[in-house]
Amino acid sequence: MKRSHIIAIVIIAVSIGALVGSLYDSSTYADLDQALAHPGKEYHVVGTLDRSQEIVYEPSLNASLTTFSMRDLEGKTCKVHLNKAKPQDLERSERLVLIGKANEQGEFEARDMLMKCPSKYNEENRVEG
Amino acid sequence: MVEYIGEHLWAGQLGHALAIVSLVGGLLGTLGFFLGTARHSGEWIRVGRIGFRLHSVAVLGIVMTLFTMLFNHWFEYDYVWKHSNLQMPLKFIASCFWEGQEGSFLLWTFWHMVLGNVLMWRMSKGRGSAPDTSSWEAPVMTVISSVQVFLAVMLLGIYVGDVRVGSSPFLLIRELPENIGLPWTAMANYLSAIPQFADGRGLNPLLQNYWMVIHPPTLFLGFAATLIPFAFAIAGLWRGDKRGWIAPALPWTYFGIMILGTGILMGGAWAYEALSFGGFWAWDPVENASLVPWLTLVGAGHLMLVNKRKPTALFSLYLLTLITFILILYSTFLTRSGVLGDTSVHSFTGDGMLPGLLLFLLFYITLSVMMLLGRPSDRRFFVGVSLALLAIGVGFGIQVQAILLFGTICMGTLIGAYRKGFASTEPEESLWSREFWLFIGSLVLLLSAVQITFSTSVPVWNMLLEPLSPVFWWIADHTNSNFFRELADARLAPPGDAIAHYNKWQIPFAFIVTMLVAFGQYLRWKDSDLKQFRKQIGVSVILALALTILAVFLLQYTLPEWNLIALLFSALFAITANALYIPRVLKGRLTNAGPSVAHVGFALVLLGALISTSRQNEVSRNTRNMDLRFLNEGFDNSEDILLYRGDTLLMGDHFVHYREKHQEGVNLYYAMDYFAKEPRDYAMDDTVRVGDMLFASRDDHRAGPHFLKDQPDHWTPIEGFSRRALWYTPEWSSYRPGSKVFELAPFIQINPRFGNVAEPSTKHWLDRDLYTHVRYADMTLASDTADDTWMPDRLFDKQEGDTIITPSAMAIIDSVYLVNDSVTRAMLGDRYTVYAAHIRVRDLYLRDRWFEAKPLVIYADGQPVMGKAAELGPLRIRYSLATVEFPKGPIMGHSGPMPGTETQRTKIGLNVAEAEFLVLQAIVFPGINILWIGCVLMFLGTFMAVRQRIIAKPKQK
Repeated sequence: MKRSHIIAIVIIAVSIGALVGSLYDSSTYADLDQALAHPGKEYHVVGTLDRSQEIVYEPSLNASLTTFSMRDLEGKTCKVHLNKAKPQDLERSERLVLIGKANEQGEFEARDMLMKCPSKYNEENRVEG
Repeated sequence: MVEYIGEHLWAGQLGHALAIVSLVGGLLGTLGFFLGTARHSGEWIRVGRIGFRLHSVAVLGIVMTLFTMLFNHWFEYDYVWKHSNLQMPLKFIASCFWEGQEGSFLLWTFWHMVLGNVLMWRMSKGRGSAPDTSSWEAPVMTVISSVQVFLAVMLLGIYVGDVRVGSSPFLLIRELPENIGLPWTAMANYLSAIPQFADGRGLNPLLQNYWMVIHPPTLFLGFAATLIPFAFAIAGLWRGDKRGWIAPALPWTYFGIMILGTGILMGGAWAYEALSFGGFWAWDPVENASLVPWLTLVGAGHLMLVNKRKPTALFSLYLLTLITFILILYSTFLTRSGVLGDTSVHSFTGDGMLPGLLLFLLFYITLSVMMLLGRPSDRRFFVGVSLALLAIGVGFGIQVQAILLFGTICMGTLIGAYRKGFASTEPEESLWSREFWLFIGSLVLLLSAVQITFSTSVPVWNMLLEPLSPVFWWIADHTNSNFFRELADARLAPPGDAIAHYNKWQIPFAFIVTMLVAFGQYLRWKDSDLKQFRKQIGVSVILALALTILAVFLLQYTLPEWNLIALLFSALFAITANALYIPRVLKGRLTNAGPSVAHVGFALVLLGALISTSRQNEVSRNTRNMDLRFLNEGFDNSEDILLYRGDTLLMGDHFVHYREKHQEGVNLYYAMDYFAKEPRDYAMDDTVRVGDMLFASRDDHRAGPHFLKDQPDHWTPIEGFSRRALWYTPEWSSYRPGSKVFELAPFIQINPRFGNVAEPSTKHWLDRDLYTHVRYADMTLASDTADDTWMPDRLFDKQEGDTIITPSAMAIIDSVYLVNDSVTRAMLGDRYTVYAAHIRVRDLYLRDRWFEAKPLVIYADGQPVMGKAAELGPLRIRYSLATVEFPKGPIMGHSGPMPGTETQRTKIGLNVAEAEFLVLQAIVFPGINILWIGCVLMFLGTFMAVRQRIIAKPKQK
C-alpha cells in the first residue's frame, strides 16, 4: 500500500469521526414536556420568561442562583433554577434558550442561558403620528 | 408630492447612484478582464481597467457619502438613525459606520477595491500602463471584479418585483417598507415635528470602545486578502498554468495570514478586555467562522512553499486555497443570514439576506469545482448540471434537496478531477523530506478546520437533514438507536459544553501541528540526513523536556491531564526548536528568520492559551460560609463573591474591599481596593471565635494556615463564656489585610435602550492577570431623595405574630402598638399618631444571637407620612414600618366568634432591606502575557517573511 493511501484513509477516518463526534456531542432542542420526561439528559429549551411568576435572586444566600419560571413555545411553564447570577436584563428578555436538564422534582436546572433582548431590529414601528 | 423640510436628499440620491455606478463598473471590469484573458486582447484589458477604476471611484464615493451622513447626524436616514446619536464621540463614528450589516459589507468591498488596485498597480508596474496579456493581471482581476459585482448587488437595495435585492444604507426612514403609508410620512415637517427624529438611537454600548474602531477593519482586511490567492488559483487553472501563479500569490497569502490572524486575536483581546465573557475565546460560532479560514489559509500558504519548488500535493494546495475563500463566504452566510439564530449571542439577524448570500456562496463553489475540472467539456457539463439543479430547486421549491444533491455531485466531481488532472505519477517524496511533513501539517490544519466547521454548522445540519428524516426514522426503528432518532427529529442543538467539545478535538490537532512546527524547518527539501537532523534538534528536545517538567511541577498538572501535558511539551518544543533555529541553522542571519519568529509566536499563543485557560482560577469562589440551602449538587455554586459596601474579604492573593460607587458619564463605577495578604500575628491572651467556641492565645505567635494545626500549640479553649462574648469575639483567621496594593473599578454602562452592560476591569501583572467584573449590583446612586447604602426595600404584608425569613435573619413580629406617651404627644401634637412594631430578630448564622428592632411610623390624617427605620448593623439589615392597620372592633349583629381569627390581629406592611452589596466574579489568568507576546511575534515574523519575499523577488529575476 502506498503511503498516500494510508494518509487518505486516515483523513477520511478522522473526518467521519469528527462528523459523527460533532453530531454525537451536540445537544438537542426540546420542549419542556420532552425535557421533563427525560430527567438528567441535557437539552436546549427555547422559550420566554413567564412574567406571572416572581424572579427570585437572593445573592446573599447564593450569588449564582436565579430562580424563575419559563414558558416554552408550546405554552407549558416550568420552574427554572439557573446556575448564574441574575442577568441584568432578564425582565426585558423576549426569548430565552436554557441549556440544562430537568430534575426528578419536575424542575429545570439550567447550567447556562442565552438571552435575546429586544434588538434594534424590532423597533422599526416606533413612530406613531 | 410632499415637499419635506430639513431632509438632505442629495446624499441618499448620490449614494444610490454611486451604488449603481459601482455595480456597472464591476460588471464592466469583469467583462473587460474576462474577454481580455479569453481573447488575449490588450484592448479588452483596458476596458476592464476602466471598469474597475470606475467601480473604485464609486465605492470610495459611497464610503465618503455614508461618513458624511453619519458625521452630520442626518437622522432622516435609517442607517444613521439606527447606528449613531448626537452624544457619540467623534472616534466612534467609524464604529457606527461598520456596526450594521450594510456598513460591514461596504467595509469588505472597500478592502477588495483597495487590494484590487494595489494588485493592478503592481502587476503592470515597469511595463508602463500598456496591458500585457501574458501578465496575471487580467484573469486575477476578472475574479476580483466578479466578487465586487456580488457585493455591489448586496448594497443595491432595490426592488425587482416584490423581491428586495440587497440592502442599502441610503434608505430614508420614511421609505422603509414598514413605514410606507403611515400617516406621519405625509407630514412635510416630520423631522422637526416628531421628537424621535431629533436624535439617533446610538451605538450598542457593548461596541463603544476602541476595539470596535480597530478590530472590524483589520478582520475585514484579512477576509479581503483571502480573495487574492483564490483569484490567482482560479487564474492558474484558467490559464492551464498550474504552478506559475504561486510565486506572485505567495506574499499576498502571508499578508492575509498576518492580517487575518491579527484580526482574530484582536477579537479575542476585545472579548477579554472589554466584554464580560470571562475569557478571550469561547468557541462561539462567530469566532469560529473567522478562525476556520485562517487555518486553511495557513495550510495553503505552506503548500505554496512546497509547490513553488516542485509539484507535490498540488491538488491539496488548490483545495486549501479555494476553500479558504469559500469558507469566508460560508461564514458570511452563517453569521449574516440568520441561520445561526439561537446558537450565537452575537450574530446578525437575517434581514432577508439569506437567498442572496446563498447564491453568492454557491456561485463560487460551482466556479471552484468547475475550474478544477481540466477539460472544457467536463466544465460545461458540470455547470449545466449545477444550473439544472438550481432551476429544479427553485422551480419546485425543493432547495434543500437540490443543495444536498449538489453537494454530493461536487464531492464526486472533486474526486474525478483529482484522478484525471492531478493524480501524481511521480515517485512519492521521501519520508524525511520537508515537503512531506508540510503536506501532512496542511492536511491536519484542514481537518481541524473541518471539525470546527462541522460543529459550528449544527443549525445548517438541521436544515439539510430534514429531507433525510424518513431515512433516519427507518434506521432508528430498525436499530432502536436514540442517536438516529434525534437525527430524524432534526432538532440538534450545539454541544452543551462547547468549550469541552472543541478542546477534545482541537487539542490533538494542535499537538500534531506544533510538533510539525517544531521539527519541520530542520528537515531538508527532498531528503534529510537524519544524523545531522538529530544533532541539530537534540538540544531543543532536551530543553523542551526540561521546561515541560518544570511547568508541570510549577503549575501542578496531573496525570489525567496528559493531553494538556502533551500539548505543553509540543508547544515548548516548537518554541525552543524555532528559537534555536536562528543561531544554529541560520547562524544568526535575521533576514531569513521570519518563519522561525512567526512559528515561535504561534507556539507562544497556544502555550499562553493552554496555561491561562487550564489554570484559570476563579478566586471569587464563595468565601462566605453561607447556608446554601437551595443548592443542587450538580451546580457549581461558587463562582461569585458577594461584597457588602465596606466589606473586606480575602479573595485569592489579596483582600478585596468594596469602597464606593460613582458615576462618570454613562458608566457606573464600583471602586474596589485590593490589599496585600499578610500573616496575622496573635498576641498572648488574644481571644478568637472558632465556630461556637472561644479560645485564648497562650503566647505571641503567627497564625498558620489552619486553626486545627495551631490550636494544640497556641490556643486554650475558654470555658463558660457569656453569649455576648461569643457574639462579639472576632473569628480566627490566618491572614489580615496589609497595605493597599491597587484599585480596580469594574463598571456598568447604563443604556436604557440596549440594556445595561457590565464591563470588566483587569489588573495586569507580568505573570498573570486578575480579571474582575460585576455580575449583579444595585444601580441607584445617592441623591437627595435616595439613599444608596441599602438595597431596594422589599415589602412584606404581615400580621402580628408572623415571622419573616430573609437570607441572614429571621424576624418575629412580637407586637404592634400605639406610641402614646406624653413626651411624644407633646412633641407631635394631636394630628399625628405614632405606631411602633416590636420585632425580635434572630441571626441565622450565629446561634442564639438575638436582636431587637423597633421601627416607627407616623400617621397624619390616616395616612403614613414618615417613619424611622431600625437598622441592625451586624446583620446588615434594615426594617422599616410602612403601614399599620388595626383590626376593626367586633362587628355587631353577629353571634359567636368570627370564623378565623386572622382578622382580629393587627396588619402591618414591613419593608426589609439589606445593606448595599454587589456580586463580583474574579478570575486569575496565569501566563496570559505569553499569549499576547506570541501574537506580537507572530505578526512580526510573518511581516518579516512577507517583506523578505517581496524584496527577494526582483533579485531572483
